[in-house]
Amino acid sequence: MSDWSQVTRPIPVPNEWTRPFWDAAKAHELKMQRCQSCGHFQHPPYPTCVNCMAIDLKFEPVEGKGTIYAYTIMYHTGDRRFSSAVPYASIIVELDAAPGALMAGNLLDAEYTEAKVGRRVEVVFQKLNDDFTLPQFRLARG
Amino acid sequence: MWENRCKVAVSGIGYSKVTRTADIPLAAHALEAVRGAVADSGLKMEDIDGLATYPELPATGHAEIDGISVVSVNCMMAMLKLPNLTWHIQTGTVNIGGAVQQAVNALLAGVCKYAVVWRAMHNPKGTYQNLPGTYAAGAAQFTAPYGFGGPGQGMAVAYTRWLEKHNQSREKMATLAVTQRQHAQKNPHAYFYGTPLTRENYLSSRMVAYPFCLYDCDIPVQGAVAIVLTTADRARDLKPRPAYLASYGQRLHLEVADRIGSLSSYMLGGGSSAKLTWERSGFSPKDVDVAQIYDGFSASVIYGLESYGFCEEGQALDFIQDGRIGLDGDLPLNTFGGSLGTGRIHGLWHIIEGALQASGRAGERQVKAVNVSFVGASAPIVTGTTFIFVNEPY
Repeated sequence: MSDWSQVTRPIPVPNEWTRPFWDAAKAHELKMQRCQSCGHFQHPPYPTCVNCMAIDLKFEPVEGKGTIYAYTIMYHTGDRRFSSAVPYASIIVELDAAPGALMAGNLLDAEYTEAKVGRRVEVVFQKLNDDFTLPQFRLARG
Repeated sequence: MWENRCKVAVSGIGYSKVTRTADIPLAAHALEAVRGAVADSGLKMEDIDGLATYPELPATGHAEIDGISVVSVNCMMAMLKLPNLTWHIQTGTVNIGGAVQQAVNALLAGVCKYAVVWRAMHNPKGTYQNLPGTYAAGAAQFTAPYGFGGPGQGMAVAYTRWLEKHNQSREKMATLAVTQRQHAQKNPHAYFYGTPLTRENYLSSRMVAYPFCLYDCDIPVQGAVAIVLTTADRARDLKPRPAYLASYGQRLHLEVADRIGSLSSYMLGGGSSAKLTWERSGFSPKDVDVAQIYDGFSASVIYGLESYGFCEEGQALDFIQDGRIGLDGDLPLNTFGGSLGTGRIHGLWHIIEGALQASGRAGERQVKAVNVSFVGASAPIVTGTTFIFVNEPY
């Protein structure tokens, strides 16, 4: 299993479009930007709806269940602070509630070899510091 | 069909030395390539009246210093002091293919007569993707905290999706790496000229970002290449046989900016660019005699072959087997070695080889009886452009 104990992750720097996502994660809630005009969920946040161009966008709670859309196993790290965790799985998750809105994460609490396209995962929250908590994923239970 | 087909041609071609380290300023590489292209056309520098480039440094976390890590149009203008300059531009989207297309448009509009386009690439000291450090702003706030960084991983995730969706195996990619390295042995300008690669080398090489091993990634280098573009009428009066531009296209599809890992982005991007190129030229994939498809990471070739329409989705790794992409195969591919063979100079070298093959100037690696020469000049996702060059105007 990848050893994350020595890894110091970069701290996100929110902007006006992304802050609600991080505020929700700090409260252990997954929220995603949703168009109030057409209902489309999108991620990463964007100034306009990428489906219908409306600008009436709000962050709404989404259920943290989905599937692994894609993944890579990292053996060589550009950010050397991750080097103690190699090999590790960085995954892309498509939530059931937000098709097409792809989220990055790591596969936690599992061997990196468990990362496979189509595998069911669920969100967990990993505290970075007093200000930031990362949405992360583990294999779905039950 | 496009009314301007075969009205512009690639004439001269120039190269700098390609080195692993940045021993001299990048501006010197760019000058060497530009002078070479002008001389190859048999022109004098004062004949050049148009300049275009795309001066991006794709490395992360390194300063962009003009003349050192990029070579902008301003830098080139200041060096050359062209007495007859009438037009210049540097582009911000679709990589160097966009600069080439703008030069074509300028020639068609009659605002210049002989345009030079160059691409200069720097290899910075230290880690190429020198990732963000303590904080991750912008698009990286959603990826860097998870250990994502650099275009290689973005490509790698789409590649695992492709492999598992289509029940394919990465070992088949050895054929591409080995064949392209064979082609590089016939290209003295290539970084890996004189260094063959075996299937065993590929299969036993270290992983970088699964499914990419070392030989799926082009090696960062310092170097530059350049071309002279001119109208077909003028090109016929110059020294080299012209490579006539039949058509071009650019990607028209873009999903959410900075979305990572989307396989459909590659397929829709490449498909939109190729559609323009086929329709404008009147050709289809079955008419193509030789193809150059951007390969900064090997999987780009898969997305190219499939989205441009050379094979069905999910079949590219089978399509490239059994000698099909060799110099005497049905679809000779990346006949100059590709970026995997030359080093990371981006897609102008693919355009150069497409032009050389169309004009019969590819020397030892010339494919027999080429008329239709296809180029996909960058990864189809956000930077994709496509071109067709022909031997005979029609």
